[in-house]
Amino acid sequence: MMKTLIKKEILNHLLSFRFLVTLVLLLIVVPATVVVLSNDTLRGREEYSRRQGEIERYMEKYAHFNRVHNIVAPSLAPLPFHALIRGISAEINQEEFDNDPLPQVFPLTDFTWIINVLMSLAALIFSYDSLCGEREEGTLKLLLSHSVSRASVVFSKLVGGLIALAVPLTASLLLGALWIALTAKLGWTIREWLALGVILVASLLYILFFYTLGLFLSCRHESSSSSILTALFVWVFFILVVPALSPYVASFLSPTPSRIKLDRELFRIYDTERDELGVKLTKEVRKKMQEQYPILLQRLSPEEEKRRIASDPEYSQAYKRLTEETAKAWAEANRIQGAKAEKLEKEQERKEKAQTKLSVALSLFSPLSAFTYVATELSSTGINNDDRFVFLREKWHEEFEAYRDKRMALLRAQDPQKDWWNTPVKMDDRPRFVFRELSLRERVKNAALPLFLLFLLDLVVMVAAVRSFLGYDVR
Amino acid sequence: MIAPLVKKEILSNLLSYKFIVVFLMTILLTALSMGIMYRDFDARYADYMLIRPGAGDLITMTPPNPFSVLARGLDESIGRSYEINIHDVVVRSGQKSNNLIFRFFPTPDLLYTVQVVLSLAALLFGFDQVCREREQGTLKLLLSHSVSRGELLLSKWVGNFLTLVLPFLTVFLLALLLLQLDPRFSLSWEGWLRLGLMLFLFLLYVALFLSLGILVSTLAKRAATSLVILLFLWAALVFLLPNLTTLAARQMVEVPSVRGLSEKRQQIWTREILLGIRDFDPKAGQQGVASSWRRHFDVVNHEQDAMEEEYRHRFGRLVSVAKSLNRLSPVASFVYGVNAVAGTGIEEESRYKEEVLRYKNRVYKGLIDKSMLGKEVSFPAFHYRYRSLGETFREGLWFDLFWLALFTVLFVVASAVAFLRYDVR
Repeated sequence: MMKTLIKKEILNHLLSFRFLVTLVLLLIVVPATVVVLSNDTLRGREEYSRRQGEIERYMEKYAHFNRVHNIVAPSLAPLPFHALIRGISAEINQEEFDNDPLPQVFPLTDFTWIINVLMSLAALIFSYDSLCGEREEGTLKLLLSHSVSRASVVFSKLVGGLIALAVPLTASLLLGALWIALTAKLGWTIREWLALGVILVASLLYILFFYTLGLFLSCRHESSSSSILTALFVWVFFILVVPALSPYVASFLSPTPSRIKLDRELFRIYDTERDELGVKLTKEVRKKMQEQYPILLQRLSPEEEKRRIASDPEYSQAYKRLTEETAKAWAEANRIQGAKAEKLEKEQERKEKAQTKLSVALSLFSPLSAFTYVATELSSTGINNDDRFVFLREKWHEEFEAYRDKRMALLRAQDPQKDWWNTPVKMDDRPRFVFRELSLRERVKNAALPLFLLFLLDLVVMVAAVRSFLGYDVR
Repeated sequence: MIAPLVKKEILSNLLSYKFIVVFLMTILLTALSMGIMYRDFDARYADYMLIRPGAGDLITMTPPNPFSVLARGLDESIGRSYEINIHDVVVRSGQKSNNLIFRFFPTPDLLYTVQVVLSLAALLFGFDQVCREREQGTLKLLLSHSVSRGELLLSKWVGNFLTLVLPFLTVFLLALLLLQLDPRFSLSWEGWLRLGLMLFLFLLYVALFLSLGILVSTLAKRAATSLVILLFLWAALVFLLPNLTTLAARQMVEVPSVRGLSEKRQQIWTREILLGIRDFDPKAGQQGVASSWRRHFDVVNHEQDAMEEEYRHRFGRLVSVAKSLNRLSPVASFVYGVNAVAGTGIEEESRYKEEVLRYKNRVYKGLIDKSMLGKEVSFPAFHYRYRSLGETFREGLWFDLFWLALFTVLFVVASAVAFLRYDVR
């Protein structure tokens, strides 16, 4: 019986106008997006290798240790998955003079966006009238007069609808995948394909949520026209409101002082406050030293002082102690201020992390965010990938500094007089930055929580849908 | 005859479930978005007060734009502060949000709310205007009275437009009134004109989608079909078309990556400093050393400017191609129009950058004199003047307005034609 019901549902959908529109739309949009994004990725890679070439050429002629950090600072080449998912590695530049603000005006389409917006809308359109529509037409009464349980009606609708939605999605994605597979230069490996498989599963879970939500709403409404209104209202809330508001609400609930304020404070600590402390400490030192060596109490001009140091061994010794202690006092001042600054910086970082975490948590009220995180984590274009890049960059910096110190020591041994900092030297053996993406296992681990949340959300709406249909007045 | 018909439309709307949903949605989102964007403005203003340049500082900065509360656009980028160094223009530190989540989702400003939510609401009001009444049989009844079809359609349009717009207008004006308590929002007459223009664009945009809704409802036989068509059309017009065409424009115009540009900048100045140190000749005297350095810095300045000009040129081409393609969807015209009026659009940002570069070249000579020869030099302060409304109009706003109006009129005329030939049975 179940099979017949599911078959009926699928056929019903396949023959409908909305199915046709969804199919056509996806068959155009998905391949078009893939083609454009893969071209973009390839071009980005070409540009990247051109840039690397320029750096190499520069280094051959002008490599010198003083400012070389600025030249060889690591950057990220486009990743294979950028052919499908752009993630956050988009070119929004906040640290340099030039920027490319176009994507801020109209965010570029990618696979995540297609699922997030188009498919969720399609899913609601597929299901908003599935029960109340049948009630309006009177077929629901007829159906239930047969020996069919209500639960199996809902269940067959769920399965049938999901299959009907999966058809256009899978078909269009297959076309896109074909293009990616044929474009060997993109360099997709088995890891990317497996990740794409998991992303497809997550997409289906996401679509199922909205489909079930529509089903649920269609049991809560008498007429399909009010059902679609509520459905769209909820859609706007989940898709447009919750995710966009989450970082702002988080910054309200868990405020972090602005970086600008912190920078000023740090400057003050390292500059004026350090000087004040240094002066105070040296004064104390001087006083202590004068008690110990009364000879230092005499006020001398710099020339006289020089003379005294040369002629009077007692004075010379006292003077030496004084300079040592003064240097110590300054070092102490630096240490105290450094610790103070570090504490502030740590505190800031902690607060920023907390705010980001809260934004993520708040945004996870919407399945859209959950899916976005799943898709970006699996494709390694998300937050963890960004963290990884920062981490690897720091590691590279340390390696490079060690290399620099070693080379400088060797060079100085050759000729201690020469200004090696500003002399071109060969650096072919310098440590190079290599970016390795996260392994699939790590990606799955990072995506597990939002994936589980998606699953949970599905379960919740499913239970709600079945429960409300059990109490639905089918007349 | 029109007045009672309009009244009937409004009353029947007021009692409908649809009105409650749309009313709640509009009020809630408008208030929320303005509240949040005000807080955002406030925070950026506080930052501005902290690091605004003092007299004689070689720093470029402009305070946050009060209109960014309505349309944030690229205001954050325009408000960024730079320091003019002898070798480069440098972004001052700390001007970056470390919360990555901002980058995932769009900014929920009023422009976005109207662009996405109010357009959807307008479609929901329009989608069943004609076909529902036909399905219910009331259309036949209505037309049996001495009402022309044109009048009927007009009253439907007016009645629905009023119910749609009034809740929005109420919240919007209330929020504006509250903003007036803050002295930073006291506007000049030109400011009020801008505000009025933005409001006009908002209303025109809502009218556009309402007309589209009514048009499809006269073409479709059933309300359900009309809704499906409209929702997909909406997704295509609001998101798909502008986004895809932006991608397509990128395929047509190649622009160097910003990362590549900053790498090039670094290469230029580090190279010249190295060469400058090599050329350093202690016997040349202060004047000689200074002129040697000056040659190197001139090279830096010249090469960086050339690179920048090339980039600005190409980027300008990209923007104009992208804009032309984007405007396939009138939604793009709306977004560009509102941002242009608010002074937070792409052109404004490019102009600001150009102004920064011009300022750099104005102070460059003095900077060299001061740092190389130790002369006392007083620098002019940086000041950015936003494009005037006239310039904004000339540089594309008139087209966006015309384009939006054209689509609206087209939809209205098409629906009138379709309705005159409509089979009401």
